[in-house]
Amino acid sequence: MARSADPVVELDNVQVHFNDTGFIDKLRGDETIVHAVEDVSLDIAENEAIALVGESGCGKTTLGKVAVGLQRPTGGTIRYRGQDIWEAKENGRNSEIPYSKIRQSLQIVHQDPGSSLNPNRTVLTSLEVPLKMTQSEMGADAREQRIYQLLEYLGMKPPQDYAHRYPHQLSGGEQQRVALGRALLMSPDVILADEAVSALDVSLRVEMMDLMHDLQEVFNTSFVFISHDFANARYFAGKVGGKIGVMYLGELVEFGPAEEVIRNPQHPYTKVLSWATPTLDPDLAAEESMDPPVRKIDIPDPVNPPSGCRFHTRCPDAREACARESPSLQRGETDSLVSCFRMDDQHEYWNSDPFEGDDDPTEREHAGEQ
Amino acid sequence: MADTDIDTEDDAQTVTDGGSGGAQAFFEQAGDYQATSTSRKDRTYRKLDLYVFAPFRVAWSDWRARVGISIIVFFILLGTVGVELVEEPLMNEGAPYTTWFQTWEMPLGTDNWGQPIHKMLVHSTPAILKMALAGVLFAVGLAIVIGVVAGYKGGTVDYVLMTLTDIIMIIPGLPLTIVLLAIWQPRDPFVVGVVLAIDSWPSLARMLRSQVLTIREEEYVEAARAMGVPTRTIVQKDITPQLMPYIMINASNAAQGVIFAAVGLYFLGFLPDGGAYNWGVMMNEAYQTGGALANPWRGGHWLFAPMIMLTVFTMGLILFSQGMDRVFNTKIRARHAKTVADDEDELN
Amino acid sequence: MNYYLRRLWQAVFTLVVVIALTFVLYRMMPGGPIEQMEQRMIDEAIGSGQDPDLQYIRRMVEIRTGIDPNKPMYIEFYEYMRDIILYQDFGESINSGDPVFDILFYAMPWSIFVSVYGLLIGFTANIVLGAVMAYYEGSRFDSGSTIVAVVLNSIPYYVGAVIMLAFLSFQWELFPTGGRYWAGTEPGFSIEFALGVLHHGALPIMSTILIGFGGTALSMRGNCIRVMGSNYLRVARLRGLSDSRIATRYVGRNAILPLYTGFMIGLAGIFGSSIIMEQIFTYPGVGWYTFDALNQRDYPLLMGILIFFSTVTVIGVLIADLTYGLIDPRASSNDREGF
Repeated sequence: MARSADPVVELDNVQVHFNDTGFIDKLRGDETIVHAVEDVSLDIAENEAIALVGESGCGKTTLGKVAVGLQRPTGGTIRYRGQDIWEAKENGRNSEIPYSKIRQSLQIVHQDPGSSLNPNRTVLTSLEVPLKMTQSEMGADAREQRIYQLLEYLGMKPPQDYAHRYPHQLSGGEQQRVALGRALLMSPDVILADEAVSALDVSLRVEMMDLMHDLQEVFNTSFVFISHDFANARYFAGKVGGKIGVMYLGELVEFGPAEEVIRNPQHPYTKVLSWATPTLDPDLAAEESMDPPVRKIDIPDPVNPPSGCRFHTRCPDAREACARESPSLQRGETDSLVSCFRMDDQHEYWNSDPFEGDDDPTEREHAGEQ
Repeated sequence: MADTDIDTEDDAQTVTDGGSGGAQAFFEQAGDYQATSTSRKDRTYRKLDLYVFAPFRVAWSDWRARVGISIIVFFILLGTVGVELVEEPLMNEGAPYTTWFQTWEMPLGTDNWGQPIHKMLVHSTPAILKMALAGVLFAVGLAIVIGVVAGYKGGTVDYVLMTLTDIIMIIPGLPLTIVLLAIWQPRDPFVVGVVLAIDSWPSLARMLRSQVLTIREEEYVEAARAMGVPTRTIVQKDITPQLMPYIMINASNAAQGVIFAAVGLYFLGFLPDGGAYNWGVMMNEAYQTGGALANPWRGGHWLFAPMIMLTVFTMGLILFSQGMDRVFNTKIRARHAKTVADDEDELN
Repeated sequence: MNYYLRRLWQAVFTLVVVIALTFVLYRMMPGGPIEQMEQRMIDEAIGSGQDPDLQYIRRMVEIRTGIDPNKPMYIEFYEYMRDIILYQDFGESINSGDPVFDILFYAMPWSIFVSVYGLLIGFTANIVLGAVMAYYEGSRFDSGSTIVAVVLNSIPYYVGAVIMLAFLSFQWELFPTGGRYWAGTEPGFSIEFALGVLHHGALPIMSTILIGFGGTALSMRGNCIRVMGSNYLRVARLRGLSDSRIATRYVGRNAILPLYTGFMIGLAGIFGSSIIMEQIFTYPGVGWYTFDALNQRDYPLLMGILIFFSTVTVIGVLIADLTYGLIDPRASSNDREGF
């Protein structure tokens, strides 16, 4: 699976199911289970940039929150430097690595800059919290000084002015920088950036991602960068030689070095994303294929995911075998791990008939976001 | 500065944590703000400005709060200083059933014993204030603890606390309190206030719980949890301040409810007056003895004067809570704080 | 177990606990009804110059209250509940000797008539007034109405009732000063009777409207303004939704929602306040009998009334809870991980 040598965080066969039974269903006794994350294994190494990309509702945020210990998985395990996080939480001080240490090491930056800061607190008081948490003996002066230093580094000058503002007096980009700064002051090992640039203006996104790259270097922090926008993921992971994970309906369908995933997408779904995304990099733009590589645009319901390979209903290369059996991640011609039978030359896939599906296969449409 | 202490602490962390070494290096080589650091005095002033002066300035800029505070302060003065200045009423100070605005000594007239109404009104105030205070402290305190804990902890704690709240809410408040009062016959206004507030906390507790349910899903609360901030602190610093408008408005409502019920019950003659002056007792006597309803020209002033006092006091409470709405609006408060940068260059 | 069944079970459980609590309260309280009745009979006996026969008095009290002090409390409670559920037998009023169920059964419609009309009219008027105030926010109409609402909200309902009674009934004789219908009319489906009922009910209904009047309007106004300033409304406007759709689907719904639970609980509050109200208007409904029962320490009647009030409140809260989940999807997600 997606393993690395000495991981900070290891996810093993993580599964998250939500019970989302509605009123009428409850009366009927029907249960609605949303399969948010299905059997995902993933390692996060030191000082690594991982981008998780996928459509809205594919479970990437849920997976991300599992990875930083904010969402309890319904199946599988999550370990921080070898210590099971949820065991540590239950065992209290008896665990090998105390839960408080794990909590300090895994931080989050949210999507909505407006609600990620307490509206009743000034920037200074918000930023004092992580310092009080990690270095309780630090004096008020030293704290303030550090916050000024950080604000200046984050490009909010003069810091003495910004420090005494309330969140509503900051722009979206500034709010996001403060949220990022608050996470950094915890000196974490991993920061989950959950759609952290999606709410910003396009012009500010690259700037924000560059800032994260700088901070990653300076603070020695790994980033898990979640985005529904392949262009952002490509830029974020591609620029610093990170990794890209592509998610579809709760499953990790492709995972590999950013360079590989960008230049040589293997999974049909990655190809769709790649095709539909105007690249930020002009060198890559020439390689875009002209043929929309997708069958139809409707995204299946995560409550009742398709049988076999979950992508087969939309996959242009789907064959009957895909509807019967589900593939697992395996290495193909490149360094990427891909969950597709096409990676296996011996698979019965090559002998089965092309998948016709319930719909007219001629109904080919352009795939895109939303 | 005690920088050396911090360094050793950070070094100790570096052994186990690859991350903070980078942070340490960063803060060492970053710009020095020592020169601009603020003194303790400045910091205290900033805190006072944010949490005391600015809210007061905001409140005072609103006419409702201004009038409300004035009325409440007036009644508090009446109940404390006023009682010292105005002597207790005596029988036959004036002719019985003197109606209002007849003489300078007794502007509000007299009752059937010739006691001046205005003196009776003044000496009724302390009891009313005590009942309101006891009721508010009891109801609001209990509601905050139960509502916030239930909402934030969720699960079984929530279930147990909300079942308890429902039971108390469903026990018919007024009949129950009347029964309790009839059995105990308390004379201490503090006890009367608490008993009458027995049914005022469940609705606030439930309201706070549902607010907490919404707020606890806010991203900054999740961020605080991610930082490992203890639940207590999250509740105190991140959640409760958001609830202040509800708490203030409900505190005012609870005070109003206690006073309404108390005066109403004294009016109907349910509560033993114990010889103390009381707006409700006055109304009861005017109604029963004075025949104020059938003959308002004779006993009306006796009945209506305490009613007006009661109405004005409640109006003060309502205006106060209405005006407080603005105080808890951070945007408005920031504009009134001197230590917060101006909105001029706001980028939104 | 699913949420709705669980909620229903919780309501029934609540009701039983409430009844049990009041039941225990009456029997345990020092100076409770039994002791008081005993004391009264002893006093009466001494007053009339006889030697009080304790044995006899105990038996009399037992017969009149239906309480046997020798039986354990839980058996008493079981028998009491059994009589209620199987035979609708709430015991007999100590004072009048009539079955409690009959007294309540005849008094209830009058109280419900006054309360429901008062609450419905008051709530509707408040919602409309609040919405209009929010729509003309900052205008002279808005500030004028705010003052009126605050003043009305400040007047205790019984003060309003007394003032109305003093002027509209006693002074100008527009309304009767008490009763439920004209003495000359026979209860039944006649126009005279119906008009009499309306005429007599008008003042109690008007004072019920006064309960919390203005307060709801001000909350509605605040909610409307808050909703109108929120982001999703801007989005709705950008999406080109019609004004009327925005007003009803977005503003109306989201502004009324927080008031909804209050409405259901308000119903119970109004029944409670009928104790004072019906006394002032000499209107023999449930509240009137409560007052009587309290003064007379008519314990079986009092228990019956408490059960009646509790049931009404339980049903109100239950309806509010069950339907609230339907309107606001956020509230029904109850499978949360405890923090």
